Amino acid sequence: MMAFNASPAATSILLVSVVALNLSMSGLAYGQAAQAAVSDPTNAGKAVFSRANCMGCHKWHGDGGGGYGGDALSLRKTELTKEQIIETVACGRPGTGMPFFVRGAYDTISCYDMTRQDVGERMPPEGGTFLRPNDIAAVADYVIAHVKGAGEPTYAQCTTFFGNTSRVCDIYKAGAESSSKTGTEGSK
Amino acid sequence: MERLSDHARISTRARLVAVAIAAGGMLAAASQVCAADEVTQERLLNVGEEPGNWLHHHQNYSAHRFSTLKEINRDNVKNLKVAWTMHLGGVEGGGIWSHGGLEGTPIAENGFLYVTDGWGSVYKIDAHGGRGVLVWKMDPKTDRDWAGAVACCGVDNRGVALWGDLVISHTLDGRLIATNKETGQVAWQRTVADPDKSEVITGAPLIVKNMAITGVAGAEYGIRGWIAATDLTTQKEVWRTYTIPGKGEAGSETWKDSNNAAASGGGSTWVTGSYDPATDTIIWGVGNPGPDWDSAYRPGDNLYTDSSLALDATTGKIKWHYQHTPNDPYDYDSVAENVLVDIPGPSGPRKLALEANRNGFAYAIDRTTGKFVWGVPFVKKVTWTKGLDPETGKPIEYDPNKPVQTYIASVTPSRTNMESDICPGNMGGKNWPPTAYNPDLKLWYVPVIESCNRVKVEVMTPEKLKPREFWTGGGTSQPFKITGSVTAIDVTTGKIAQKMETPFPNLGGMLATPDLVFTGQPSGEVMALDAKSLQKLWEFNTGGGVNAPPMTFTVDGKQYIAILVGLGGAWDKWFIDSTRELKKIQPGSMLYVFAL
Ligand code: HEC
Repeated sequence: MMAFNASPAATSILLVSVVALNLSMSGLAYGQAAQAAVSDPTNAGKAVFSRANCMGCHKWHGDGGGGYGGDALSLRKTELTKEQIIETVACGRPGTGMPFFVRGAYDTISCYDMTRQDVGERMPPEGGTFLRPNDIAAVADYVIAHVKGAGEPTYAQCTTFFGNTSRVCDIYKAGAESSSKTGTEGSK
Repeated sequence: MERLSDHARISTRARLVAVAIAAGGMLAAASQVCAADEVTQERLLNVGEEPGNWLHHHQNYSAHRFSTLKEINRDNVKNLKVAWTMHLGGVEGGGIWSHGGLEGTPIAENGFLYVTDGWGSVYKIDAHGGRGVLVWKMDPKTDRDWAGAVACCGVDNRGVALWGDLVISHTLDGRLIATNKETGQVAWQRTVADPDKSEVITGAPLIVKNMAITGVAGAEYGIRGWIAATDLTTQKEVWRTYTIPGKGEAGSETWKDSNNAAASGGGSTWVTGSYDPATDTIIWGVGNPGPDWDSAYRPGDNLYTDSSLALDATTGKIKWHYQHTPNDPYDYDSVAENVLVDIPGPSGPRKLALEANRNGFAYAIDRTTGKFVWGVPFVKKVTWTKGLDPETGKPIEYDPNKPVQTYIASVTPSRTNMESDICPGNMGGKNWPPTAYNPDLKLWYVPVIESCNRVKVEVMTPEKLKPREFWTGGGTSQPFKITGSVTAIDVTTGKIAQKMETPFPNLGGMLATPDLVFTGQPSGEVMALDAKSLQKLWEFNTGGGVNAPPMTFTVDGKQYIAILVGLGGAWDKWFIDSTRELKKIQPGSMLYVFAL
């Protein structure tokens, strides 16, 4: 519902404006950069990451972390392969809060060689939306390309995720401490 | 860069508005707005004189949520029907939230309602003529991802306040906004809380003597809590009182660690407080310490977390405090509203402040001295303590010489008890949904969550403290079914008078009238109960989840009951596994208005 960046058109507008802002510094030709950004093959996966609300538990940066409801594992520190990620997303993880995202998991779709009966009480929750196999492959590609092994979240990664319509990325800017002070005092 | 230009835009706009007003708008507006529509301190002090209006978030300064209106009463409430409804917005997601919800209390004045949605849009609705017509909507364009990423417990906004010809509201992203009541134009706004520090605002403002009092949320993210007062004429801050004392201040000795835990010690203030004009005292509840469950990170009593605070309204100075759960290892915060009541005592009237705490006990404190008067468990199951000391009201196991309290150690989360089942669960016996008090019957109605849940502890270290990341020291899971009740307490005796059990936790709160109480269920029902027996006399299923308190008002001489419906908040993200049937409740955003 109302996923951020859900429409490809909106995404490319955001990217174009980001690129335009950086133009003078990067020295890249406008057309080239815009095209390169728009055709990032993992953009579809990024959209799934928002739409399926992976960020609701793993956060936009995928680093997960504590929460009122306990830990979602860090996808930045994951050691899973693409195939394992696909299986985890499709089938969830029994006995944990990681939901399954494929319609018919443990019924018509085989999951860890278990049926609904086998998995019993450990049945993972159902995702808020079901994903088709190519969506799941796309989100796995995205996690492998942009999240797994990515270290601490950076400003550039944040604005790539959100565009620049929100202040959500400001704390990742260099010198965020002092700018956050201005935030409180600024508009009295 | 971006931020600077943002601010420049806001202030330019403010200036434009000011210019427009100066250029003659003022004269026109002044002649339109009759004096009776201007909200003054006089009117806020004497709401009893205009029973058809509902001017305060908690109905009056004493937070009674009691209306003397009785056109709808025990004899005819069975005929109550939907008069009209209105769909609102604000269900969009943002940050870690897939959707918003409704937790607000409508404000009613002279036949107009003022309500908010979770993202802080304000709606002015004309309720004349037996139907609702939207007059204007003020959309503050809340930065959803910025604020929603650090809102522990939902996309929530509990409503507005009125002052002069302004509607005063908050936004999740930290702003206090004054909107012209007639036009819906933003007159001015001021940043009070900073989401970059994980501060967000969900509570309604309290208006005291030309000041808007603001509380903050964020104890799950390592904030240092505060209560702030903004002058509504100069738009400047009058005072800001931190709920965690600074180094060297009184109370700082209750943070005995070497981690500088106090700096990120929590103590949120996200529920609107009350005000005692006789002593010019604001009484406001303070939230849990952080990290929530790793209490060994922050040895000491951790003042003023889990306390009721009495502040001098003029200066913000702390007059007294009463702490309920020292060195809290459960997340049993004390943010709940304090209900101010006067009851006859052996030596003259007793002036009490009542608070129904998350820890499962209801407390009466002498609001002149801050001393304990009585306490009573209002939930069916309390496992963490054997009870309260009858003299001090502290949990019996509390040992002031112990840096880390263990209470009943076998069921208390700690570094040696890394997984533990607690009752009440961490949402508490009562959360933010407000109580109501019937001053004739001296009955106090508590919306109860009858619960246990499981807490897993994570040992925290200073390196784990990161801006805008959770700072909870663990997490909870929901292996137990959670139900609820409405529990009535006789304030003269401090004893439970009645309990009406409900299949689901009470996530909405209470309204009292002379012979009825109104409340709702997250499964959709709005209901009316007999004020004494709590017997159910009327029920209507809204088909949504009730997550907000009912209120009542009159227009054209007729009494109405109004309630916002739309399940959001913490429950359906973090606690839904304890109430599986609620998984089928859809997000929604709707105002229901009932009449005979
Ligand atoms: C309701 C919360 C929630 C949502 C939504 C969610 N996850 Fe998870 N996820 C978890 C939890 C909790 C775990 C940890 C399970 C465990 O303890 O083993 C997890 C684990 C994982 C893992 C395994 C990591 C590892 O190293 O073992 C992957 C991969 C993953 N999630 C990907 C996703 C993706 C992709 C999405 C969106 C399609 C998603 N998750 C949505 C809660 C969630």
